[in-house]
Amino acid sequence: MRRIIAFLKEYRNSMPGLMGLGIMVFFMVSAIFAPFVAPYDPHQMYKPLEHPNSDHLLGTNDIGQDILSELIYGSRVSLFIAFFVSAVSCIIGTALGLLSGYYERMGFFLMRIVDGFLAIPRLPLIIVIVAFLRPSIWNLIFIFILFGWPFTARIIRSEVLSLRNRPYVDAARMLGARDFYILGRHILPNVVPLIIVQLIIEARHVILAESGLSFLGLGDPTAKSWGMILHYAFEYPTIFISEIWKWWMLPPGLCITFTILSLMFISYSLEELINPRLRGVTRV
Amino acid sequence: MNRITKIISYITLIILILTFNFFLPRVMPGDPLSFLTGSPTMDMPIVLDEEMRAELLAYYGLDKPLLQQFYDYMLGILHGDLGWSIYFGAPVSDILTGALKWTLLLVGTATAIYIVLGIVLGAISAWNRGSKRDVELLTFVLSISSFPSFFLGMLFIILLGVNLSFFPISGAQTPFAEYSTPFEAALDTFRHLLLPAMTLVIAHIGGIYLLMRNSMLNVLGEDYILTARAKGLSEWYIMHKHAMKNALLPIITMIALRVGFLISGTIFVETVFAYPGVGRLLYDAVTYRDYPLLQGAFLIITLVIITANFVADMTYAHLDPRVKHE
Repeated sequence: MRRIIAFLKEYRNSMPGLMGLGIMVFFMVSAIFAPFVAPYDPHQMYKPLEHPNSDHLLGTNDIGQDILSELIYGSRVSLFIAFFVSAVSCIIGTALGLLSGYYERMGFFLMRIVDGFLAIPRLPLIIVIVAFLRPSIWNLIFIFILFGWPFTARIIRSEVLSLRNRPYVDAARMLGARDFYILGRHILPNVVPLIIVQLIIEARHVILAESGLSFLGLGDPTAKSWGMILHYAFEYPTIFISEIWKWWMLPPGLCITFTILSLMFISYSLEELINPRLRGVTRV
Repeated sequence: MNRITKIISYITLIILILTFNFFLPRVMPGDPLSFLTGSPTMDMPIVLDEEMRAELLAYYGLDKPLLQQFYDYMLGILHGDLGWSIYFGAPVSDILTGALKWTLLLVGTATAIYIVLGIVLGAISAWNRGSKRDVELLTFVLSISSFPSFFLGMLFIILLGVNLSFFPISGAQTPFAEYSTPFEAALDTFRHLLLPAMTLVIAHIGGIYLLMRNSMLNVLGEDYILTARAKGLSEWYIMHKHAMKNALLPIITMIALRVGFLISGTIFVETVFAYPGVGRLLYDAVTYRDYPLLQGAFLIITLVIITANFVADMTYAHLDPRVKHE
């Protein structure tokens, strides 16, 4: 507990970190309370292509849906996918990373699989698979998890390899502690900071990948994520030559950008805390 | 790992990808001939009766045993046969070779700028660590590289292309243009290249910048930097000869990985700018559910990325004497 408070105190000093957290809280709140915050049902149709006015603050799209409501509900879809995927792939990656760091033979085989995953370019592969599957949220989530865990597993493993031979682990082993007890009690707590950073980084990758796939038209057409809104805006013929881009294309794009920015700031500040060398204090 | 095992592992990887490409349409749910009949959303879905089906299956060799199909497929790939594009009505390999030169031009230009700019900015930032300039640069670079490439591209099109009419907004050359000199043609190509390349670089610069900055910060904490200072060497000399060189070495393979991301990024950038490269073809293939073209484009993009990684791996062995003598 004391460690957490000290950690938070340190984090408070990081300006980008606080900014990132602020933006994230804003989007989280709008995602959680979407039904209360959004003025309309995002699927309800009104007069199409209305310019922003007092009824529709950001106008309506080509089939008459309120864009502001779409954005607010979109934060739900985008953030849910991002954090669900990153949580599950971090759990899988951590478990496999711990085991493969601790048991050498298993680690060897697992790391060959990880090598394969990391060597194959992720994005084109995901695009092709999704194009063959039916586009649905759960298909996307499944595929992102499938390609998400190897990174975490690799990072956790290399950390476990260095922790495994620390004196206190040897001591625990000599006292007769079983492997799983050592892993859970002595090694896992030491990799928690790494896991958190990895969680944030992975969430960023997923947001980017999901919005990218949606932009290419491979998203779930029934779930409006920010990327999907952007996709429909891009497909609209006169988007580049009329005024409508200002309220149809710009807001979802900025939502994606600010989410990525906030995750980037948060992960950077956390990494700085974990690795003091990055803080720019010269070592003597 | 010595050179031969490396080469073997790359060959294995390519075989793995070819195998994946072969099995993908075969293990996915649905009809193996669905690539012919198109998606149900197509304007005129083609309906096949039993006899036609059997005939088509025989024509594509889909009634043969799987192993035989696989052998034929591999043989076809070696002969440059990637199938027939439904949408364009032409061999996939012909369409792709036409597009590849544009993708390579775009990727080559962007990669060169990306690597140099990222390394220089990262080094400057690390060198001024903790100072105002470092914080400003860090915030700035992280901010601009938070823009997803497709969104940034759309913004560039509207702000620089449409509003200022300073840049052409689509294509790789002006359609139907007649050039009097090769120089004019090059200029036109360059003008079309600039915005997509800029978009690619800006959207990806954060990764390489942070990588270089972190690696450089680690190096700057080393004792030999202190020694160099104590010897009274000039700051400029220390930064170039001692810090940058040593900071670059451990991250070369990671840089190659980022270049891979950048190449993947051309899919979005080419789509937004209607740049006639392989990435744009991938998008067309997705839109029109043209599966042979989709698989061909995927194969080419993947091979380009793997080649880039391979080159980086081989260069690394040349640069690091410790690896070379192993």
